[in-house]
Amino acid sequence: MPRDAEPSLNEKQFVITALQENLRLDGRELDQYRPLELSFGDQYGAADVQLGKTRVLAKATAEVTVPYTDRPLDGIFTIATELSPMASPAFEVHRPTETEVLLSRLLEKTVRRSGALDTESLCLVAGQKCWSVRVDVHVLSHDGNLIDASCLAVVAALRHFRKPDTSMDAGVLSVYTPAEREPVPLSWLHSPFCVTWSFFGEEGEIAVLDATWLEEQVRVGSCTVSLNKHGEICQIAKLGGTPVDAVSLLQCTSVALTKVKEFSGLLDRKLAEDLKRRDKGGFMSELRAENDR
Amino acid sequence: MSNDRPLVLPGETIDLSLIPSHPKNPLRLGPGLRHIPPSDIVPTAAGELITNPVKNSMWVEYNSNRYIPSQNDIILAQILRSTSDFYLCSLAPHTPPATLPHLAFEGATKKTRPVLLPGQLVYARVSLANAHMDPELECVHASTGKADGLGPITGTGCIFDVSLGFARRLLMARPAQDGGLAVLEMLGGEEGGGMAFETAVGRNGRVWVGSASARTVVVVGRALQETDRGRLGVEGQRRLVKKLVREMS
Amino acid sequence: MTATTTPEATFGVLPRADGSARYSHAGYTVTGSVNGPIEAQRREEHAYEAHVDVVVRPAAGHGGTRERHLESVLQSSLAQIILVKSFPRSLIQIVLQVENSPENDYVNTKLVQASLNFGIMPALMQTAVLALLSAGVPMRATATGTAVAIMHQDGAKQTMVDPSPRDIEKARSVHVLAFTSQDELLLAESEGDFTVKEWDLVYETARGICCRSRPQAKEGMAMLLDDESTGGPDMRQFLRSTMESKVAADLHWK
Repeated sequence: MPRDAEPSLNEKQFVITALQENLRLDGRELDQYRPLELSFGDQYGAADVQLGKTRVLAKATAEVTVPYTDRPLDGIFTIATELSPMASPAFEVHRPTETEVLLSRLLEKTVRRSGALDTESLCLVAGQKCWSVRVDVHVLSHDGNLIDASCLAVVAALRHFRKPDTSMDAGVLSVYTPAEREPVPLSWLHSPFCVTWSFFGEEGEIAVLDATWLEEQVRVGSCTVSLNKHGEICQIAKLGGTPVDAVSLLQCTSVALTKVKEFSGLLDRKLAEDLKRRDKGGFMSELRAENDR
Repeated sequence: MSNDRPLVLPGETIDLSLIPSHPKNPLRLGPGLRHIPPSDIVPTAAGELITNPVKNSMWVEYNSNRYIPSQNDIILAQILRSTSDFYLCSLAPHTPPATLPHLAFEGATKKTRPVLLPGQLVYARVSLANAHMDPELECVHASTGKADGLGPITGTGCIFDVSLGFARRLLMARPAQDGGLAVLEMLGGEEGGGMAFETAVGRNGRVWVGSASARTVVVVGRALQETDRGRLGVEGQRRLVKKLVREMS
Repeated sequence: MTATTTPEATFGVLPRADGSARYSHAGYTVTGSVNGPIEAQRREEHAYEAHVDVVVRPAAGHGGTRERHLESVLQSSLAQIILVKSFPRSLIQIVLQVENSPENDYVNTKLVQASLNFGIMPALMQTAVLALLSAGVPMRATATGTAVAIMHQDGAKQTMVDPSPRDIEKARSVHVLAFTSQDELLLAESEGDFTVKEWDLVYETARGICCRSRPQAKEGMAMLLDDESTGGPDMRQFLRSTMESKVAADLHWK
């Protein structure tokens, strides 16, 4: 298996020496994110997040299926994460690595289990028909902090997504194609975001936000906090690594909240911009004209 | 684009008038070209065709990221592990390891050879490179027995990755005049406030920057990477150096 | 929303890959990365040549047999233009990620099992070639590709370049052709019912799009005018001009 190259001793030592002087290799502050860019595709439900050299694309789709027998009143919501060799030759197709498993678990806990999407609203006919919403996460370029970037991409894609409109008429369910009726947004309850701290030093006393791939390879531990802009924590994951002082973790959480507010603001702004862009072109009015007939 | 350096794409025919002809010297083909017997010269990469009538040589100039070893290149290698006779080193991620014999250092004998740990860096020359064998390295000049600056890299510093074209420009005898690259001179000179640092540039797109001050290493590394990525000209480099010095002080 | 009629490409979109390109044309957007030559795994190692690995990833859903089919077709075509003999025992890895494909507004698609449309093949091919050029992988030639559909309308036959998914659905047959820069036919895949005569027509149309010679003299002008009627983009000119701007940017210091 092609393993990812270990950083040299030289780099490892320097990253730590520099951090002890509050310096990062790219000149950022310890609690500063890399330049964050978010853009939407031409189709509904495609979000592209660039965080420095990390780049994640999320794509939301929906189709009508049969609900699970044990949950007849719920729709189906899945998040698929598969890391391809595009991110790094160290990833193989159909062979999940630890990174991939951790990423999909954290996204699952943050977005799905926190009830961000109202799955009951996806039910069409109890026990017979429901929407299955699926988000595919594609990591195009991996330069550290995949979790935060992917989470933002998933939430952005779902909030941007529109599913085909449906109607129930005398027990007959009709699903309209985009040409017949303008698709409708999902019923969205809250937007959780991940903020990942990386710890360095003997006792993990140096905490750093948005670690690059090199920093991730050198860190002694990490902690991912997921919360929404109201400060409600969805999950905290500190998966092993050097023990960290509980008080510093509290400090981390409060900084995370300010970051989440920034993410939330950015997403709202970008969604509004996108809506404006779509409405301006003749596309929507053209559709409406067709519907009037 | 001027006419004497035309763009070529793989497989295109090269205008015969561009191929230099010299009465005595044989024609030398550089990277990006291949010779199909009897007399066809065909580009294999997209770039500018450069010809040198004096040396009777021609090559395709292009930038890339993946290092392909070639004999006599000076490179920065990372030790992977040691076997009984040689070190296995990595020249670029995901490539087969290169071998560096234990005795290929200046004045090395079985007893005095340097002991290198996995992860350490060496500045070395590629002594053998061909497609069918793993590359071999040396840290000593085979005929003179002198290191000429090659050998293990010690001291505080860090590695920065740059594109191969940028590394070649750094290695030019006069980077400011021939390569439009004055960023290092500026950092050590007036604009950078006379920073003290040393560099070791490898053709494999790696630059080691060493200095007693971590701050200096970060500034120099960032200046190099941003000049490379931003494709900065000399004026842009001056602005970048000023900005970095202001930010970091 | 609106399908681009002229192809567009950007290079170096993935800073950590050896080479990358993003290409969009006729509503398809594909991002491709190339890494290599790198160390091949034992099972993929060939003693005398490089192994070319192509991975096609749909925008949504798991890849299935259709993607595997596209991969194998692209793999064998690209192995022909890459100088694989120069890098024995190594691997050249090409990953093509579909970002966007034109939607058929009149049908609600099934998505869990993604099935990439046949019409995406030229976009995949073109992205791979651009990414290879950006990585500087030594190649024998460049390649350009296109899709042509034969429509039957009111009893009259008609060729259509770059058909939309809706056109493909209605077409009698769809063909994907690619040519190398030496005007050799590199790839020909067809779907549907067609006669030899129709195929000849398709071949000529595709050749007109992919193998237009550079407009140099008067002859070139005549060809340009002639091509207006076929109504397709000049793929070779596109490849050349995008590479020209890339190389000029890379060698700005010269």
